[in-house]
Amino acid sequence: MSTEIQTFTEKYDLLGCIQCGRCTGGCPVTVRANLNVRQFVYDAYNEEKLDELARLAEIWDCTACHTCAVRCPKGLKPLEVLIGLRSMIVESGKVEPTVRDALQSVLLEGNPWEKSRAARSDWMEGLDVKIAEPGVEVENLFFVCCTIAYDPRVQAIAKNMVRLLNKAGIDYAFLPEEESCCGSEVFTLGEEGLFEMLVEDNTEYLNEYSAKRIVTLSPHCFTTYKTHYPDLKTPILHYTQLLVELLHEGKLTWKGDLQKRIVYHDPCYLGKQGDVYDEPRELLKSIPGVEVVEFDRSRERSLCCEGGGGKMWVESESKKERLADTRIKDAKDLQADIVAVACPFCVMTLEDSMKGLGFEEEMRVAEIMELLGEHIEA
Amino acid sequence: MGNVLVLAEHRQGALRDISFEMLAVAPGLAGNMGGEAVVLLIGSGMDEMAKKIAGYGVKVMVVDDPLFENFNAEKYQKVLSALIDDLKPALLMTGHTAQGVDFMPALAVEKKMPLVTEAIGLEYEGDVLKVTRQLYSGKVNATVAFKPADTYLVTFREGAVEAPESSAGADVEKIESPLKEDIPYRKFVEYIEAEVGDVDITQSDILIAIGRGLKEDKNLPVIEELAAAIKADVAGSRAATDAGWIPHDRQVGTSGKTVKPKLYIAMGISGAFQHLAGMKGAKTVVAINKDPEAPIFTVADYAIVDDMFKVVPKLAEKLKELKG
Amino acid sequence: MKTLVCIKYVPDTSEAEVKVNPDGISVDDSRFSFDINDSDNYAVEESVLIKEAQGGEVTVFSIGPKKSDVMIRMAMAKGCDQAVRVEDDRIAGHDPLMVAKTLAGAIKGHEFDLIMTGCVAVDDGHMATGAALAEELGVNHATMVKKVEVGDGKVTVHRELEGGMLESVEVELPAVLTIQTGINEPRYAPIRGIRQAQKKELKVVSLDDIGVDPDSVGSDASQVVIEKLYIPEVESTAEFLEGEPEEKAEKLASILVKGGLV
Ligand SMILES: Cc1cc2nc3c(=O)[nH]c(=O)nc-3n(C[C@H](O)[C@H](O)[C@H](O)COP(=O)(O)OP(=O)(O)OC[C@H]3O[C@@H](n4cnc5c(N)ncnc54)[C@H](O)[C@@H]3O)c2cc1C
Ligand code: SF4
Ligand code: SF4
Repeated sequence: MSTEIQTFTEKYDLLGCIQCGRCTGGCPVTVRANLNVRQFVYDAYNEEKLDELARLAEIWDCTACHTCAVRCPKGLKPLEVLIGLRSMIVESGKVEPTVRDALQSVLLEGNPWEKSRAARSDWMEGLDVKIAEPGVEVENLFFVCCTIAYDPRVQAIAKNMVRLLNKAGIDYAFLPEEESCCGSEVFTLGEEGLFEMLVEDNTEYLNEYSAKRIVTLSPHCFTTYKTHYPDLKTPILHYTQLLVELLHEGKLTWKGDLQKRIVYHDPCYLGKQGDVYDEPRELLKSIPGVEVVEFDRSRERSLCCEGGGGKMWVESESKKERLADTRIKDAKDLQADIVAVACPFCVMTLEDSMKGLGFEEEMRVAEIMELLGEHIEA
Repeated sequence: MGNVLVLAEHRQGALRDISFEMLAVAPGLAGNMGGEAVVLLIGSGMDEMAKKIAGYGVKVMVVDDPLFENFNAEKYQKVLSALIDDLKPALLMTGHTAQGVDFMPALAVEKKMPLVTEAIGLEYEGDVLKVTRQLYSGKVNATVAFKPADTYLVTFREGAVEAPESSAGADVEKIESPLKEDIPYRKFVEYIEAEVGDVDITQSDILIAIGRGLKEDKNLPVIEELAAAIKADVAGSRAATDAGWIPHDRQVGTSGKTVKPKLYIAMGISGAFQHLAGMKGAKTVVAINKDPEAPIFTVADYAIVDDMFKVVPKLAEKLKELKG
Repeated sequence: MKTLVCIKYVPDTSEAEVKVNPDGISVDDSRFSFDINDSDNYAVEESVLIKEAQGGEVTVFSIGPKKSDVMIRMAMAKGCDQAVRVEDDRIAGHDPLMVAKTLAGAIKGHEFDLIMTGCVAVDDGHMATGAALAEELGVNHATMVKKVEVGDGKVTVHRELEGGMLESVEVELPAVLTIQTGINEPRYAPIRGIRQAQKKELKVVSLDDIGVDPDSVGSDASQVVIEKLYIPEVESTAEFLEGEPEEKAEKLASILVKGGLV
């Protein structure tokens, strides 16, 4: 943690902005909300105006999709200006109760879901899981993620991974229940102090393990570790990268086939932020029978599902169509049977929309690990 | 031993249910303790109420004095302190209510008498007074025993037992108030009625009650849609009103409303007893909760263990269809 | 305005499974998460709101183990100024009056106008500490408070009664108020605030330090003894509907319609 006090302008390099407007031009939430991120970059230059800006409701509409950062010709991260404003509210303590409870839960229990730390590994029950020990060499050390650990809807991601690894005879181990939140949503909610603490604690904790690499199941953890943990000694992988590697080595084979039309939705945290685009597609295509189709807006241009940026705890005022609804309707137009994703948050937002739109009979939202799990040989 | 003194509770000229409920327990217990049950009434203009409760076959003692026009914990404590010295009861019982909890702990400290609060059962066994009460918001029951004492103090939970039938009348004895003058340091100001909103849930035939399981107000429309489909009003637990999802006058339970609908559908409500107390008059209860252990299921007629959000949309759809 | 706020660190059992230990008189708390008692959290907020409006200071009092310091630091981050934590293994028993006795001992010697506590602790549920504490200290009190208005030498409070009604009461200061949930919206304690709060004084004291005779608050002194704990039987007569969520919904819909319930 640097001790010198930076001004807002210095911290976010506001003077670098040329007001080209590419950030706002690409921002997906502008169709729903009154958010003009370019304007914020401009206004935040005036330190006296910061308090007023921080009180604007639309700073909570940003989903941290990073489209603005990807598009900015000057290499700025316009969204971080919004996060900086959020943090002013956090420091005052006057956040929404949902945000308050999530952040407090991270501090006390190491997860934002208000679950007991002692229950973090409950998903492992009945499975033959190898548990990592500090100092004991392991090739692939798995970091589960709070959401996958606690939410029964997406626990299959971890469970199937265990079955797959055991089957393929891979050298792996999962972190025990001491695993803590990576801080992805803590960062975007603007709780800077808590995030710094997590970075410090997690770096120290993870560095005690002797792994060749750390494999994350959620792209949120993946990107957060890659971009915000400079002192982590172990390289970070998303599971799709590991599995493609295993595929190339001939260690993965699938039983049966899946005669389905699948459209892959690029999670913002895996694609735009993690630069992982091809591996998920390759995995899907490896299942016999699968036909993979593409959204009109895919890869770098992928439409955000609005699951990130702390939006799990902040509801938009907007009554306009959710981006996830748009996404599902697009999938419907493509006559896709399955919308495949590689992120637990995308599962929730897209599945919710799919159900809300009443497409349950004819369409399915699935995490890639769920699909793969159905084709692991016994 | 001695008598069981039951402090009857009343407000704005009417006896409260807890007063009668305690009479389901006190006489039998007093018999076991070698005494009799005696009701104590403190107030002003108590003739009607005294007659009414004497109609339950239990002797009534009345302190009738304008100083007791309204409840005041400090005055109650003073009177009870003096009467305990006088009457030497083996047990003084009050409701575990906003009145009871306001003076009993202080009285216990003053008199150096042992106190157990929120009893749901009382038993006198081998010279030991045992109390059943609950811990962890009703998840655990405890049997606790008093160490021997001359006088025990107990507050009794509302709605824990059913009031007995009234029977032959009994004597009413007026006793002089031990409190001679008003006290300056605590004053009753007024009662404030909860604001009456657009819906009076005590009059509703069908109620859909939501609890903390709703998670956030954006989930409300699904519930409202279901409510519209079956012409139900939406009520909720305190968790739901605290969160501001529904107005305060729609809260069901001890600190909310007591409702008596024909159909009560509880969703995402754990069934804390304070909540259950307010809905026990419902004819048919449906509970939807993802926790199979939730106490709400103990009072349900139809139960669904599942995520309410997975059930409700289909339920609304199907109901609309069936009702055509 | 000098305010003291008494808070307790309790397990959150709302969704957790509760198991009784083999000894039959205690509960296995190894898998619980702990936090400030719900109504105490509102008491902290109320004390800070009063300080912000009137000036003055707020002191936290708590009886509990070292691990509860995080709760105390959070209260300090929200605006409480200092704290006293009583830690002593000799405090034992299920007697609601002994907590008050211990707190009174810790509080003696501290000046105050107002003391606030939550109205009930969610673990043992006595709902007795506040009023008992007032008597121990010889001051006025009001319980189940949902609104506080500070006046000149007195407070006017709204007490929550049964049936959705409130009672407005005037109480002379100094006084103890027990705070009911929903009185305010507790704020968040940011980590930077918690870190800064490390500089505030947190005194850890034993029974000897506060001059409370250990024999008066130990298990021998407890006038109430837990004989047995047990999980209440779920004596349900409910018909549990089975199947996929959709099937359950359909079954319920037809029961309601066929039974003439809707
Ligand atoms: C003096 C006093 C007075 C009180 N008065 C009242 C009162 O009048 N009325 C009242 O209601 N309470 C009252 N309470 C509060 C009471 O003790 C409980 O805290 C409250 O009733 C809990 O509300 P709840 O059941 O909604 O929440 P919780 O106890 O938190 O239960 C939430 C439930 O939702 C379930 N759930 C969560 N998500 C889902 C989902 N997706 N699908 C299905 N189920 C889900 C959980 O399994 C859980 O069982 C009072 C408390 C005190 C101290
Ligand atoms: S991160 Fe996404 S939502 Fe947020 S401002 Fe940038 S483009 Fe808009
Ligand atoms: S894209 Fe970059 S340079 Fe252009 S307006 Fe936005 S922040 Fe400024």
